[in-house]
Amino acid sequence: MDDESIAFKGTLQQLLEKVEKGEMIPKLQASHAPPCKFWTAFQVLNGIRHMAPVIHGPKGCTYSVANAYKMNSCEYRGVPMEPTSCTAQDEADVVYGGEGKLLEAVKEAEQRYHPELIVIFSCCCSGIIGDDVETIAQRAESEVDAKVLAIRSEGFGGDFRSGYEDAFRVIMELMEKPSEKMKKTINIIGARQGPTYTEWTQDLDEIERTVHAIGAKINGVLCGGCTLEQIRQARAAELNASWCYDWGQKLGDLMEERFGIPYARTGLPYGLKATEEWIMGVAIPLGLEEPARQMIQKETRELAKEIDTIRQFFDGKTALVEIAEFPGPIRALALARMAGEFGAHPVVVNIHPYTIKERMPSIKYLLQQGQNPEVILTKGLFSLGTFRSSWQTEVELETIAAQYDNAVYLGTPLRQPGVPQVNLTTMTGYPHFGYSGIKNIARLVQSSVENAGRSRSRLFRRVLYGGN
Amino acid sequence: MAETGELMMGTAERCHDPYLRCALYGAAQTALGVTGCCVLAHSPQGCYLLVNAAFGWQDADYTETQILSTKLCEDEIVHGGEELLARTILEAQELGVPILFVLSSCGPEIVGDDIVAVCEDIRSQVEFEIVPIECAGFRGDQNEGTDIALDAMLIKLVVQEREKVPGSVCLIAPHANGNPTWIGDLAWVKSVLSQMGVKVLATLTHNTTLNEFKNVASAEGCIVLSHDSGQKAADYLANQFEIEQICKDMPLPVGFTNTHRWLTELGKKFGAQDVAERIATEGEKMVVEQCRRKGLEQFFMHRAPAAIIADATVGVPLLHFITEDLEMVPRLLCLRSCLPGAKKMLERELKELNISPRVAYNVDVYKSKLSLSEVRPEVVFGSNIERHAVEELGIPFVFRLVNPISRFRSINREYFGYVGMLNIIECIHNDWLDRYRSKERRYKARW
Repeated sequence: MDDESIAFKGTLQQLLEKVEKGEMIPKLQASHAPPCKFWTAFQVLNGIRHMAPVIHGPKGCTYSVANAYKMNSCEYRGVPMEPTSCTAQDEADVVYGGEGKLLEAVKEAEQRYHPELIVIFSCCCSGIIGDDVETIAQRAESEVDAKVLAIRSEGFGGDFRSGYEDAFRVIMELMEKPSEKMKKTINIIGARQGPTYTEWTQDLDEIERTVHAIGAKINGVLCGGCTLEQIRQARAAELNASWCYDWGQKLGDLMEERFGIPYARTGLPYGLKATEEWIMGVAIPLGLEEPARQMIQKETRELAKEIDTIRQFFDGKTALVEIAEFPGPIRALALARMAGEFGAHPVVVNIHPYTIKERMPSIKYLLQQGQNPEVILTKGLFSLGTFRSSWQTEVELETIAAQYDNAVYLGTPLRQPGVPQVNLTTMTGYPHFGYSGIKNIARLVQSSVENAGRSRSRLFRRVLYGGN
Repeated sequence: MAETGELMMGTAERCHDPYLRCALYGAAQTALGVTGCCVLAHSPQGCYLLVNAAFGWQDADYTETQILSTKLCEDEIVHGGEELLARTILEAQELGVPILFVLSSCGPEIVGDDIVAVCEDIRSQVEFEIVPIECAGFRGDQNEGTDIALDAMLIKLVVQEREKVPGSVCLIAPHANGNPTWIGDLAWVKSVLSQMGVKVLATLTHNTTLNEFKNVASAEGCIVLSHDSGQKAADYLANQFEIEQICKDMPLPVGFTNTHRWLTELGKKFGAQDVAERIATEGEKMVVEQCRRKGLEQFFMHRAPAAIIADATVGVPLLHFITEDLEMVPRLLCLRSCLPGAKKMLERELKELNISPRVAYNVDVYKSKLSLSEVRPEVVFGSNIERHAVEELGIPFVFRLVNPISRFRSINREYFGYVGMLNIIECIHNDWLDRYRSKERRYKARW
């Protein structure tokens, strides 16, 4: 491929090293802006049922998260739409401070919503002027019946990952010392669900099915629609297992360090090997190795046809896994691993340095596990995440695909590089995880082969990349 | 039917569940209405998402408009972000845009970043126009943000000395409208003006070119297309350029009476009474005939106790329509804003219609829900939020007219004018029919 179009080509390890040295910073500050710390902290805590948020900030931050994470998702998630309230900070609050108003707002939230848990979120305004949300939370707790937590989540205060991590850290304050352990019971950690449109419920369902199939129980999915009671009891579980390694890792490490609860460190269960690792990561510490092995053998046996389909699709091919838009970098690396497992040479396309920087601990873990795929980053995507780069990136991807005589593409329908293409975004294609995931992925790759000769529609091409 | 009225204040802003976003969002909406522009949010990355949402509201074509953010972090909050802003403006040169709007968010404004000074300093080094807009979220809600942005644009971009163009107007704040496809309302207004021979010199803002700003001072009149913002811009134009505000203090054209009055006023102003009368006559005839052909459900509308929970732009004019034309009985009106002009206008409307619903201004979601639980209307004109809010209240019908609506609209549909009436009636009918779809099945199908 023309070097003019390539911003980076090498291994994941080499890209990580460049990012650590600060070498891969895009020029314009526009590209790849994920949510800020406030948004992601809210995403996590919003997954606790009946949690009443009191956002100590202006209306914009509040409506935005309510709109993004509640209004658009509660019907899909089957959860009621509940309030998202704030102190509606104005100029006077910024000048004179808003601690008194915040305290009143917490009391009012209790009167209105009768929650078991109130969480105060700080925003840029309250963070900069130094309103002490933690002290207010302590004081409020003595004046209301609900438990009151505070999180310093001002948007400038860290990257989007820090919001998740700090939110998980904060919920540890709710975890009570257990009188006895809940036998063969685990917590699923790292979720951000509730009504939030982030995770796929079907993947979570598959994880739950798998855990129950080996004879284990689940205390709660933290914070994927869990109750306050499940968080309180979390220390009674024997083990933590991650729904998503990336997001669960911090809470898993912290709970292990502080409460001595072991954490099953495994990647996302895409494909046979990763699924087996995930299951055994749970089964072995719980003493359920034998039923787990039986379950793995049974499910694998039943999927012989699907496994054959997937192997035929990948064997000897170059699997281009693109993650610019979807399915997200950690999933893409898991997909790359799965492609490798079934005989393909995986190439991860367009994993942005920004993404590497924000997911450093997880990327390092995956590298330690031996996952070090080839990575290509095109200039189009690297430079600016806009229409122009979208068009440019499509052209660049088509060029990359054309260089291989045996490429297949796994990613988003926003691209069509002219090779067999697996659309990972179809609703009925979920779950991707576990054995049900293998069944679905087999169907998706089959469809990919059957429809490989179809060209991009004129409508889609023009809408996506411009022109008339 | 007159009832005991009660004018309530909105929720005290302590624990507030807002319907509106902040000033930064309103300013971004306004800036993104300028064709081919680049909007640079001097903000942390979360605010960038807000600007991104504004992009959608202006129906901006993503192939034509650029948005950037300085992605401020702790360093810039501690040491200031002016240098980063200057660098980003310089880097934006490669985008080749004609104009850059620099919007400041809460963080940089509190720490004292002077975006106006940065823009002035750097102006000579770039080839595009730069308009700084100080619109931190704490300055107010999105309607106030629209006013702030219009103010900055008018001061910076309007050419002061221009000859008047007879029979011309500029249109203000079309986007400050709860109709999720308000572009349809704007199109209707333009079409009516065109039939009356009135030239629209500038739309502030939607698909607005830089040349339009230059022409603003030439306008003979202006029309504010919102009851939630834009009045300040109209006042500025009146004081600065003697531009007369037309259809002032008059509900926007929703329903027979409002539309007829609005058209008549325009007709008088521009000497096109005959055209106004023709549009009204033909429009009314069309609505009636269409309702005869397609059906107009009266059974559930006649004397149905109703609530309107909306922005003032849709909510105030809707009152006349549902009372007079649809024979409902308004019992509750919750408005998301409270501009003095809109409040007076509403009071006149209530008097004229001889009704006394409970009225609340500047409401938040909680206040609306509380009011609904107390008033218990049978139908609610509102948004997807009310659809959820009434679930436990036993209120059967919510007609989703205003943002946010969980329905995709590919076609811009106006509420203004005569087709607008049919669009509202269509929303009512569809939501009414949906309500009658049982979520349970008494027995399983066999096919």
